[in-house]
Amino acid sequence: MMFLLIVGMGLVVFLNRYAFLEPRLPLRLSSNARQFLGFAVPGMLTAICGPIIFMPEHQLDLNPANPYLLGSLVAVVLVLLTRNTLISMLLSMVFFFVFRWWLNGAA
Amino acid sequence: MTHPHLPRQAFIHGAIAILPLSLAVAPWGLLAGSMAIEANLTPLEGQGLSAIVFAGAAQLVAIGMLKGGANLFSIILTTLLLTSQHLLYGLSMRPVISDLPARWRLGLGFLLTDEFFALTSQYDKQQFNRWYALGVGLTFYVAWNLFTLAGIVLGQNIPHLDKLGLDFSIVATFVALIAPLVRNLPTVVCVAVSLFSSVLFSFWHWETALVLAGLLGMSAGFICQKLSGGRA
Repeated sequence: MMFLLIVGMGLVVFLNRYAFLEPRLPLRLSSNARQFLGFAVPGMLTAICGPIIFMPEHQLDLNPANPYLLGSLVAVVLVLLTRNTLISMLLSMVFFFVFRWWLNGAA
Repeated sequence: MTHPHLPRQAFIHGAIAILPLSLAVAPWGLLAGSMAIEANLTPLEGQGLSAIVFAGAAQLVAIGMLKGGANLFSIILTTLLLTSQHLLYGLSMRPVISDLPARWRLGLGFLLTDEFFALTSQYDKQQFNRWYALGVGLTFYVAWNLFTLAGIVLGQNIPHLDKLGLDFSIVATFVALIAPLVRNLPTVVCVAVSLFSSVLFSFWHWETALVLAGLLGMSAGFICQKLSGGRA
């Protein structure tokens, strides 16, 4: 059962990834379609982050002291200041874990 | 950035380019491995998920559903919907990948993750180097599987690894990738709409929340660009 599930999930994910790479699929991208797809990186990556930031543990958390929210803001500021992706990721993760540890310690 | 034409050099360039993201995915990989163990999967099954499915978010959701007693069909359907953003990535990479030989299409198709797309999508047909892309994809694949393995080992020894907030690593990574892209009004609109609707749709428990929110954000950005005179 588990093996079947893993292979099934693998097939489904691969299908999503490969479908439009298949040249026999009759499809030409217009200039509008290309412009639209130009927004795929910011649009999709943001959508993936949204629920993780604002719904930790699947509960809506709009509290400004939400570590996910503060950590993200720290990452934004750092990457705009330093223009260095790696340093911003690492420092914001350090901030996140220290802040969480401090919150839990205070509680 | 131009890439050297020698396959080996291009491959190494790709591997180096993805290195920061490969390291940043460590906590997320640990989470995928340790949660599989906590859901009573065998180590081989946990590793199999990362080796065959190779999609972090889908793996974590599937494990959560297994714990909740969901059946095979509903997990596979959820996976289909949850990973449908890859359709967009494929569509976007179609001009550079669909003309390649079948083994390259299949290989790069298998490796087409969020991170792979974020790094290789800006190249046009002249600039795109298949070896560079392979370096990016394979390095990330190996890293993901090694961190999953570490998570499996740790998960057997340390309980409640899922309570540590390891999922923040994916946020930190994506935020650091997105923020520098937000340079004009259409992109601001795209990100704002996508962020708001992803939270709203998730709050409503829509299984297609992520891809719908992403599409809505992309449409908003696109419309905004059209209205402001089609400036690229």
